[in-house]
Amino acid sequence: MSILKKITFASTSFLAGIAFSTSVSLAEDFSAGSKAKEFGLEEEVKSTFSAKVVDLLCELTGDCADNCGDGNRHMGLVRDADNKLITVLKNGQFSFNGPVEDLLPYCNKKVDVDGLMIGDPEEFGTQFYMVQLIKEEGAADWNKANKWTKAWAKQNPEAKGKGPWFRRDPRVIKQIEANGYFGLGHEADVKYAKENQ
Amino acid sequence: MNIYSRLFSIAAASAFACFTNVSLTLAATEAKPVEIKGEIIDTWCYLSGVMGGQDAVIGTAHHTCALWCAAGGIPVGVLDEDGQIYMVLKLKGEDAVAKSDNIMEIQSEVITAKGMHYVRDGVNYLIVEDVIASDGITNFNHEDYGSVPPNSFPKNFLSKQ
Repeated sequence: MSILKKITFASTSFLAGIAFSTSVSLAEDFSAGSKAKEFGLEEEVKSTFSAKVVDLLCELTGDCADNCGDGNRHMGLVRDADNKLITVLKNGQFSFNGPVEDLLPYCNKKVDVDGLMIGDPEEFGTQFYMVQLIKEEGAADWNKANKWTKAWAKQNPEAKGKGPWFRRDPRVIKQIEANGYFGLGHEADVKYAKENQ
Repeated sequence: MNIYSRLFSIAAASAFACFTNVSLTLAATEAKPVEIKGEIIDTWCYLSGVMGGQDAVIGTAHHTCALWCAAGGIPVGVLDEDGQIYMVLKLKGEDAVAKSDNIMEIQSEVITAKGMHYVRDGVNYLIVEDVIASDGITNFNHEDYGSVPPNSFPKNFLSKQ
């Protein structure tokens, strides 16, 4: 092989390598350096990355609200590395808490996040995020994504009491009083209890 | 064309495809009008497997837990008959779905919704313009699974009546 051919072959291989590595990077592994806690969830993968915090409605439809909807709208992350919109389902707390209270302070800001991607990508075509740690991009200290319960307590002072929030939540209580624990009415609850307790 | 030219063409085409892929994701998300029939579900428990298999985290068995998750601001979805999940971002003009009583009212029901469907990065999002029909709750799976999780139905229920 002549020197010219060798150079041409090397250049071609280099370009092919770039193309391949770009393709692979789009498939992504963001687990390096993650300090996320494992939960044993479906197909969970630790994932830490830089992103922009967005109001999902605004990002998708152009229907934007002040301050990302002030906590009333669902929020997501647009990951810097690949511009992928990540749907965030959960914060780092254990008791049925969504991510909005933890994302809202960073509305339209760049952040670093750490958490878990979950869900079977073969079944659903993608994965979803549980944010456990968050900080403004480049900041030194991480903040735990655990603001939801304190925010709920502030918004529901009349529900103060013992036990977990979800047993004292006025909106949940209203639904259960109206439709029972199975959504089928009080008689269905009584029937179930008689047969099973 | 010699072998080196061909290899170069392949490499260039691959690189172009990669960059085109990136540029496509940068484009605005287009919407499509849809009519979708499906059950209103708690997406976290369904997708994460935290409470067990998918058959147990829908329907009556999971109704109370689904209320907890909806009240907690976890996105609610519509699970259609093909197993597709549509994240509900707006319900009949109400964009406060992260704190919506209306969405809790229809939890676990099978509804037919008209609206706008957005797809981005593999996720289906739904702007519900109208709920044109509801079959009510049709999956009585508490008969098979009990309450999921078990503590979503009170212990000693009858003694508290």
